[in-house]
Amino acid sequence: MDHQPARFSGFGLGLRREHHAAFLAGEARVDFVEVISENFMVDGGRPLAVLEQVRAHYPVILHGVSLSVGSAHGLDRAYLARLRALADRIDPLWVSDHLCWTRTSAHSSHDLLPLPYTREALDTVCANIARAQDALGRAMLFENPSSYLAFPDDDMPEWAFIAAMAERTGCGLLLDVNNVWVSSRNHGFDPDAYIAALPHERVRQVHLAGHTPGEIVIDTHDRAVCDEVWALYARTMALLGPVATMIERDGDIPPLAELVGELDRARTLARRATRRVAA
Amino acid sequence: MAQVLDEHAPLPDGWSERHVAGMAVYRNNYRTALVEAMRATYERTARWVGDEAFARAAAHHLIHHPPAGWTLDVIGQGFAATLADLFAHDPEVPELAALEWAMHTAFTAPDAAPLDAAGFAAATAGFAEEDWQAMALLPLPGCALVPVAHDLPALWRALGTGDGEPSPARALAQPGTLLVWREGLNPVFRPLDPAEAIGFSAILRGAGFGEICAALVDRLGEQEGIERAGALLGQWIAEGLIAGIRR
Repeated sequence: MDHQPARFSGFGLGLRREHHAAFLAGEARVDFVEVISENFMVDGGRPLAVLEQVRAHYPVILHGVSLSVGSAHGLDRAYLARLRALADRIDPLWVSDHLCWTRTSAHSSHDLLPLPYTREALDTVCANIARAQDALGRAMLFENPSSYLAFPDDDMPEWAFIAAMAERTGCGLLLDVNNVWVSSRNHGFDPDAYIAALPHERVRQVHLAGHTPGEIVIDTHDRAVCDEVWALYARTMALLGPVATMIERDGDIPPLAELVGELDRARTLARRATRRVAA
Repeated sequence: MAQVLDEHAPLPDGWSERHVAGMAVYRNNYRTALVEAMRATYERTARWVGDEAFARAAAHHLIHHPPAGWTLDVIGQGFAATLADLFAHDPEVPELAALEWAMHTAFTAPDAAPLDAAGFAAATAGFAEEDWQAMALLPLPGCALVPVAHDLPALWRALGTGDGEPSPARALAQPGTLLVWREGLNPVFRPLDPAEAIGFSAILRGAGFGEICAALVDRLGEQEGIERAGALLGQWIAEGLIAGIRR
């Protein structure tokens, strides 16, 4: 794949309606803006007008939720054509989606469903990623999911699946540190061992978010990042060096200043961690 | 997938309680996310019928019309028809939903510059009589007609803020029609009188201007029909409802 994702080590937030005014005016103190691709894969009207105005001020990342690389029946060509058109129009830093499946040929769950980590599923995912990257003319990033269910017939752990996927397809990785933490609690693995086993040179971006604790920890994105995830983030950045970091917030959305404050904490931790790497 | 969409679908043999609990999270995510997406599209309908009734109606719709495509934008398609069954004694409910759906569709319709008076004059310069007859008016993308039997504009305004309890929906003396379109970036609507509704539905069918004139002559008589057709053409262009013409 010729068109590899750029190296970019800024700190960004998602574009949420509550904060539109600041992003449209270019007044939000962020280095990039991440948007949900599907919200802008429309024919016309306000969403695209807003995105183009935001793009005039900030680099933009297109983060999708509906590619469904785990679908055994393959990818939706019309979806890929729309995503390509959006990417051509917006010129994003990169285009990302999730390691998951969301639909069959007949139905869509609109949720990021977990895959069995089998050799057969790996073949399916890699074939789909290759098709998607060909259709887009660029390498994509894929995000590790948070999950509440593991399959009894897994052949390999998630990190090995992801490492093999990156190796075979040349895709980049979007490492969601909160997802690693959530899944580690739900499935009983060591989050540091998971992150240590990934091909670090493939990681271009990190996600952070809040989750809801409980017997099953749920990735709700409706609260601040917790201290355990901040600590895991700091250890992760010491391994990765400078890559982009984004904080996801989708529920109970606070004033922008509060999220920018959280982003400052990420900046400080990343600076300290990567300084240690350099030293 | 069946296990996610259907809460009563059996789970594979040998699944532990932990698996069942994990599946419950996905089932709940599915239902909650889709009902919330429906609520975002049908904000006023939800306010009018109340949250609980709306959630039940949305769940009913999603069970009978499970989402098939990649975009959440279309999951509300056909909801007005579902509501017509569920709220058979409250016919303003499906009318309100149909209006919200038309506004939702217009919101992201393709961008197109309206044809202004000068553009129209240039496009029709040198037209012979048969050209006028055959000329089709191309509506702005997103234009739609919504048949109504209640005072939807009043209900729409009353439900706009979410404050207070709106008055009961007033039935119209005669069934009417609302025209929905996008003005710049904003979806808007206005009521049409019966003659204009006939004219604009002909536009949406792709009828030639001659056919529109004939339909209005049928309704209003020779002289008034022709005059009205000319006046409506001028009004539609002035309002930016026409994207172009086709001979």
